[in-house]
Amino acid sequence: MTIALTAYVLVWPVIVAGVLAVISRGFFRELRAAKKEGRPII
Amino acid sequence: MPPSQEIAQLGIVVVIVLLIVFYGGTMLMTLGIGRKRENADGYMTAGNRIGFGISAASMTATWIWASSMYASVTAGYTYGVSGPIHYGLWGALMILFIYPFGKRIRAVAPRAHTLAEVMYARHGRSSQLMLAGSNVLGSLISLTSNFIAGGALIAMLSPLSFGTGILIVAGGVLLYTLWSGFRASVLTDFAQVLCMLGAAVVVIPVIFFAAGGPGMFEAGVAAGSVTPQQQDFLSSEAFLNQGAPYIAAVLAYAIGNQTIAQRLFAVREDLIKPTFITATVGYGATVIGVGMLGVMALYLGITPLDGDVNNLLPQMAATYLPWALLALAFLMIIGALSSTADSDLSALSSIVMADVYGQSVGKDKANPRTMLLIGRITMIVATGAALFFATSQFNILDLLVFVGALWGCLVFPVIASFYWKKVTNMAFTVSVIAALVVFLPVRFEWVSLTGVLALPIEVLATVGIGVVLGIMAFGFFGLRVGVGVGIAATLAAAPFTLFFLRDYTVLSASLVAYAVSFLVCWALSVRSKQRFDFATIRRLTGDFDTGETPVTGAPADDDSSRRPGDGTPAHARD
Repeated sequence: MTIALTAYVLVWPVIVAGVLAVISRGFFRELRAAKKEGRPII
Repeated sequence: MPPSQEIAQLGIVVVIVLLIVFYGGTMLMTLGIGRKRENADGYMTAGNRIGFGISAASMTATWIWASSMYASVTAGYTYGVSGPIHYGLWGALMILFIYPFGKRIRAVAPRAHTLAEVMYARHGRSSQLMLAGSNVLGSLISLTSNFIAGGALIAMLSPLSFGTGILIVAGGVLLYTLWSGFRASVLTDFAQVLCMLGAAVVVIPVIFFAAGGPGMFEAGVAAGSVTPQQQDFLSSEAFLNQGAPYIAAVLAYAIGNQTIAQRLFAVREDLIKPTFITATVGYGATVIGVGMLGVMALYLGITPLDGDVNNLLPQMAATYLPWALLALAFLMIIGALSSTADSDLSALSSIVMADVYGQSVGKDKANPRTMLLIGRITMIVATGAALFFATSQFNILDLLVFVGALWGCLVFPVIASFYWKKVTNMAFTVSVIAALVVFLPVRFEWVSLTGVLALPIEVLATVGIGVVLGIMAFGFFGLRVGVGVGIAATLAAAPFTLFFLRDYTVLSASLVAYAVSFLVCWALSVRSKQRFDFATIRRLTGDFDTGETPVTGAPADDDSSRRPGDGTPAHARD
């Protein structure tokens, strides 16, 4: 039970790290594309 | 043995430096997107073509507000291991379940600015006012709540007072949102999401191991700090008191919140699905993860400072984190409340610009410069109002319950209005009012749910379960499945809900709101002779700022612009 609870507590930061990576990759890809095309990102 | 109740402070200099770095940094970001001549539509929806990275970051940052972090920690502390799930999971599903409807809304009104504006084109003034009114009230309450959270945090972690804290937060948010509006809000959301999610990744495991690691669970049970229900992943107590009312609210908050609608109209149409799914996972994992701090506090036998569970999050951070990480946790909460507060300011300004000015004085001759001025004045007035509410003895919780109920009453009529040609303005308006009239006495227990009155309310609440699940299924799988799920859910729930739900007034009241609005709206629409042409909405909701000043309703070549000299729905003129 202790192992399960430990995993239960620590799995969330791992998922958050994954989402952060996905969002960051998307943002910097859009930033590069905007720079390349000479337009503002937003 | 619980730790000492004294908490470390960051100190006045460190807090001020952190706030200057945070708000100064966001201000610098917005200077980069400043335009000599700001566009009124860009100020509201950023041109309707935002990419995935920014929109997913923005949706995540906006949906995570300081109160959601505090509430998740409270749920973990109160209901144990399943508490944060019953807060964060259903909150996350609010984003997920709205995206199929979001795609339909964008298809019908590709260049709209607010949902209320679309309701005006669909039905007319009373429907628009109901939606816009609930949006304004909701955003103002959210803004107030975030200012309060910021003031309380600063007061707890520094010698600065609560009043000084809310002034700094309000000033900081207004500073970077005022000039570029929604564009500033979504761009800074990326930096704020980096702060929030980055901090969550580090802070949660560090506190876990600093507080004793896996050993805290056995120690907590041995010390009698945790009840069997709190150790149960399938706790019925957590579900009925925390989870179920949230499931009922899933659609209401998504439909009623202009900050969500605004992002829906801003993101590139083909990116709606990945944006909403990413935000669902991001919100859920962050809020549930932060809620684990409440679970830890429970097992550790910690007593909330001053008996207030809202103090638990900063208390856990200040107790277990070293100085530098405490500063990071501070920025996480400031980021959460600022990202939502700037979204609320943008939402409020859009509603006043599009729904008040755009549909009244500026209906046929909207002046973009006047619109922008009105938007900026709205932000300043809204900040002042939120500061007033934050420092007065106003009961924010009661207002929030009222607005949540109003949104619950609006869900079926709003969604039906996007699909069903027969829904009339009369059906929309009467169904919302009828639902409110039944909701209020149940929710605030003006009538006692005993004896003969209890059973009809339970029957309505059971129908409400079918309506909620039916609408969710309809969004993903279409009408036939939606109706089937609705009927099956009602029949399956009845044996369990009748003679039982009377003890759960919060849940019953929310469900009754759905049921009454559905029944009345359906009954008034089913025999209606109206066959609404949805193409009308596309014609009536479009850009205000076409580069000419003032806009006189002149049409552009495509049919996405406003009809010349005509801001009035066809049926409203009849």
